[in-house]
Amino acid sequence: MTENLVHKHAEHEEQSNDRLMFGFWVYLMTDLLMFGVLFAVYAVLHNNNVGGPSDKELFKLPLALTGTLLLLTSSFTCGLGMIGARKGSVKQVLSWFSVTFLLGLAFLGLELFEFTQLIHEGHTMSANAFLSSFFVLVGTHGLHIISGLLWLLVILIYVVKRGLTPSMVRKLGYLSLFWHFLDVVWIFIFTVVYLKAFV
Amino acid sequence: MSENTHNHSSKNGEHGTVVSYLIGFMLSLFLTVIPYYIVVNKVVTGNKLLVTILGFAFVQMLVQIFFFLHLGRGPKPLYNVLFFVATVGLIVVAVGGSIFIMNNLYRNMSPYDVTLKLSENEGIAQVGNIKTGACQGLNKNHKVVIKTGKVTPVLTEAHLCDTLTFINEDGQEILLVFGPKSYGGEFDKRVNKVKPMSITLNELGTYSFTDSKDPSVSGFFVVTEHK
Repeated sequence: MTENLVHKHAEHEEQSNDRLMFGFWVYLMTDLLMFGVLFAVYAVLHNNNVGGPSDKELFKLPLALTGTLLLLTSSFTCGLGMIGARKGSVKQVLSWFSVTFLLGLAFLGLELFEFTQLIHEGHTMSANAFLSSFFVLVGTHGLHIISGLLWLLVILIYVVKRGLTPSMVRKLGYLSLFWHFLDVVWIFIFTVVYLKAFV
Repeated sequence: MSENTHNHSSKNGEHGTVVSYLIGFMLSLFLTVIPYYIVVNKVVTGNKLLVTILGFAFVQMLVQIFFFLHLGRGPKPLYNVLFFVATVGLIVVAVGGSIFIMNNLYRNMSPYDVTLKLSENEGIAQVGNIKTGACQGLNKNHKVVIKTGKVTPVLTEAHLCDTLTFINEDGQEILLVFGPKSYGGEFDKRVNKVKPMSITLNELGTYSFTDSKDPSVSGFFVVTEHK
């Protein structure tokens, strides 16, 4: 009897978890729509450089590749951390997600390095439509990375303080979904913005 | 506790294992490095390259969706798949539509000098009555002589930017009608003994010309690209 109740309770919780997960998925998809529109803007405007340097002259492919590999690896370690979280291992969660955090931070550093270099050389956001759309598209992704890093930091602090409660595992689940999602978006930025410039 | 967790994950199987994450990671690495290699070494070029790298990105997206985001694994998230497919559909329409419309707009509604420049790049010699300068120095002249109702040569093979001159050696003026519909916006041309008539060949394809009064007086010309 009690066992049955417990089972029912667990089932109920699982259902509500699924629903919460779906809600988060809805958020991700609306975010994806926003990125889609920014991609459209970039695709339309990327040749409008008003005589300024073109994408080919401004972008450095090795830098973009390094960033991509960093983000890809961070996505992988994030997944490993999630496996640790489902096993209930605080140690694994802390170590893998710390690696994720550091890789994300390195990616952000590369991006900021690229941005400051461009701006320093006078290729600012207001120079032409091409640079506007570039900074908005890549910058929006960067802002997502920043918020993801902050979120991760907060969750890790909570894990240290309170341990791996089921709600923490759930939150880590959202976060890893968010992080993988940013990875997918970046793959398209890498392809459409950086690789395409050298076609 | 551990058995419970085990049950949970085996029941809906929506969470990854170390192996599945490792496979996804390896595939992603390959799908990143290969297009990079192709672009840097210019293995293929032009539109083919564009399609190739976009294809790699798409496959990589599917790989990550499956191995990292676990979409479509487990019983419940079918709504998620549906929502995802709908979103991607919307994005394809928004991005594809924007590119298509803006390209068209740029090509057809630019200021006149931009249109002339674009036309020159595309090898179109003349827009309206203005020469774009596309065909200068390239052209060869071909002659078609119409004499006592005979056309010589019946078939003229020419390249883009060449000119074609019709010479009528008969006394009567004839009206040559171009087929199948028109040539470069010209539907017909009058040719008489006094004045030979020339056209610049700025459109590719096979065309015919026929005397409007006597269909037996007719010929063809084929315009091909310059090598």
